[in-house]
Amino acid sequence: MKIYLINDLQRLQQHLAKNYQFHQVVTNSDGQCHWQQIASETTKPVVHDPLIYEKPQSSAKAFFFTEQEKVLVFNGEFFQETIPTPKPFVLFGVQSCDLTAIHYQDKFFKDDPYYQARRQQCLLVGLDCITPCEHGFCPTVNAGPGVKDGYADIILHPLANKQWLVIEQTNKGAQALKDLVFTETHWHYLTQRDLVLHQCEKEFPDDKYITDGIQKINSDEISSEFWRKLAIQCLGCSGCTTLCPTCSCYGTRAIKQDNNHFSQQRFWDSCLYEGFQREASFNNPSAEAGTRVQRFWQHKFGDEFFTEFSRHGCVGCGRCEQTCPGVIGIHSVMKRLTEERGQKNGQEDTNA
Amino acid sequence: MLNHIPDSIELVDYIDDGEQARHYHFRLLNLKIGQNKNHQHNWQQVQPGQFFMLNVPSVGEAPFTFTEPPNEQGEFRAFIRQMGQVTSALFTMQRGDILGARGPFGSGWPLDKINNNNTLIVAGGCGLAPLVTLIDKLADSLMDKPENKQKLVLVYAARNKATQMLTPERARWQKQIKIFNTLDEYPNASDEYPNASDDASDELPVTTVEGSPLIILPKALSTFTSPPTTALLCGPEVMMNSIATYLTEYGMASDAIFLALERRMHCAVGLCGHCYINHQYVCKSGPTFSWQTLQQLKGL
Ligand SMILES: Cc1cc2nc3c(=O)[nH]c(=O)nc-3n(C[C@H](O)[C@H](O)[C@H](O)COP(=O)(O)OP(=O)(O)OC[C@H]3O[C@@H](n4cnc5c(N)ncnc54)[C@H](O)[C@@H]3O)c2cc1C
Ligand code: SF4
Ligand code: SF4
Ligand code: FES
Repeated sequence: MKIYLINDLQRLQQHLAKNYQFHQVVTNSDGQCHWQQIASETTKPVVHDPLIYEKPQSSAKAFFFTEQEKVLVFNGEFFQETIPTPKPFVLFGVQSCDLTAIHYQDKFFKDDPYYQARRQQCLLVGLDCITPCEHGFCPTVNAGPGVKDGYADIILHPLANKQWLVIEQTNKGAQALKDLVFTETHWHYLTQRDLVLHQCEKEFPDDKYITDGIQKINSDEISSEFWRKLAIQCLGCSGCTTLCPTCSCYGTRAIKQDNNHFSQQRFWDSCLYEGFQREASFNNPSAEAGTRVQRFWQHKFGDEFFTEFSRHGCVGCGRCEQTCPGVIGIHSVMKRLTEERGQKNGQEDTNA
Repeated sequence: MLNHIPDSIELVDYIDDGEQARHYHFRLLNLKIGQNKNHQHNWQQVQPGQFFMLNVPSVGEAPFTFTEPPNEQGEFRAFIRQMGQVTSALFTMQRGDILGARGPFGSGWPLDKINNNNTLIVAGGCGLAPLVTLIDKLADSLMDKPENKQKLVLVYAARNKATQMLTPERARWQKQIKIFNTLDEYPNASDEYPNASDDASDELPVTTVEGSPLIILPKALSTFTSPPTTALLCGPEVMMNSIATYLTEYGMASDAIFLALERRMHCAVGLCGHCYINHQYVCKSGPTFSWQTLQQLKGL
């Protein structure tokens, strides 16, 4: 795989925009960052904003696992699949935490035709982080700050004096760069990249309470009373499940049309909603908010899931902390977990 | 790739049975008219205990077990209680109307463990539905060898007489296997119990008692000439929980006791997340689990 040294990122942006619908993170008027389509292959090349390093408010999840997806139509007689047919698109500048989440979802939705139809049209251009972001703890969960090998088609790494390293990662990436005349450069730049990323890792705040918390979640030391108390603060707003790049639960609904025709949709759901598991008989295995909150964190940090996906469900982006109105995002929960000492099922452990 | 798309089915017929419950007779249209030849639903390989998703057009989908798996003509049956949106809409549909079905899904009962072994079945209310195809299959094979009659014992629990379901099936089995009924609310002496049938001569008498199925378990267990090696449970989770606990105390291994769980389901293919129990999805890893597995999952 080739590596290039470039001075002018605009050229790369404009080249890709010719062949792909082009999406990049931009800052809007109230200072929030979010993904936006900048130019399509039909419009004239525009002057692209410089890349910003800030983590977008929402991850790239919705590009593949869309907030709403039509899955079928019924014409009164037959059911037909409605596979989406998006044009090729590029996500330019995806941070490592979000790329790791995409990699995780690629596994989870491996056999889902709707996810895969969207995913296959996408070119991922990753962006190394060289300074920690607010609330982020990607190194703790092995999800950053540098883009992992193979998680993007192309990696961008910022160098001093506005130069960039462009690292080809996949054949798809190589194809996308094919017609550009860039100078190939030396492998020693990769060593330099490693040093910068290593330095960045060191700048993250102390994460001991997180690693301790993860251990606790996987021990049977935590009482259900702990989760019950914590869950008093859960408003069931679905902020965390919406923003979490690895949350994937969905519901389904029928949308009625004329003369017995209808379409069926799936839409993002949240395991923190009270009715998520409620059955028609009103039996509800997770009627208690504590059970639901516990399950959310188990899904993000449980060893059972680690075994299945070869990593934790959490990619360390910190969005749940940022968004939770009840202050029970990742950092708050982990801190409270470490304060919880040797109490199980409401009983004091006299050895503690 | 997973197939989320139902095949079209026709509502052929239905008959009422029990409180707001019906036996439905459906027919897969694809099989009959040769549409969609390479559809991926494997209708000819249904195992007892597996389920399908019924799609009521313009309303939604819900899971049901087969009481009779699809035959070569694509005809199959299900026993369905009227509960909420999907089932209420179904109950207004007419013979000849078109709906959808996809499946079969999940793992069924562990046939290899059951074959030729003494088996105790405990079902509560509607929990008998997922056991119908299995009991039919086992009872038929026992019929060939009458000395085997003791090998299968059914304990069927219901709230009261009105909520006892699957009457035709139970009447049929009565000739083949030993059945114990329990009722939370016992009928008056003037009612017809305990002789539930007219022709007791070639039948094993059905025993009906008041109370929970736990009460009758010692007696049911003593019916076997040697202790049962497998137990199959289906019904409310509290009931299954107490029966499984009793049976392990009685000496059965926890990997010889199987429970069929019910969970809310939307996708049936392990994606939507609704049916989780710890890190497993009931639609994929279940709906039948061994008691051993369930205890590891801390699911009950
Ligand atoms: C594996 C399995 C096998 C089943 N077999 C039978 C059977 O043979 N006969 C029978 O009468 N019932 C059976 N049930 C229960 C049946 O699925 C529910 O009664 C049915 O979903 C109620 O749907 P509703 O739309 O009428 O109710 P509503 O409460 O209006 O439900 C709305 C939606 O919630 C979901 N939902 C609600 N309750 C359940 C539930 N218990 N299980 C799954 N999804 C639910 C469905 O997606 C449904 O579309 C089975 C359930 C499972 C999980
Ligand atoms: S969590 Fe890590 S990879 Fe994600 S934006 Fe922050 S620093 Fe970058
Ligand atoms: S759990 Fe929180 S920190 Fe972890 S990936 Fe999800 S939103 Fe990000
Ligand atoms: S029903 Fe969707 S995961 Fe089981």
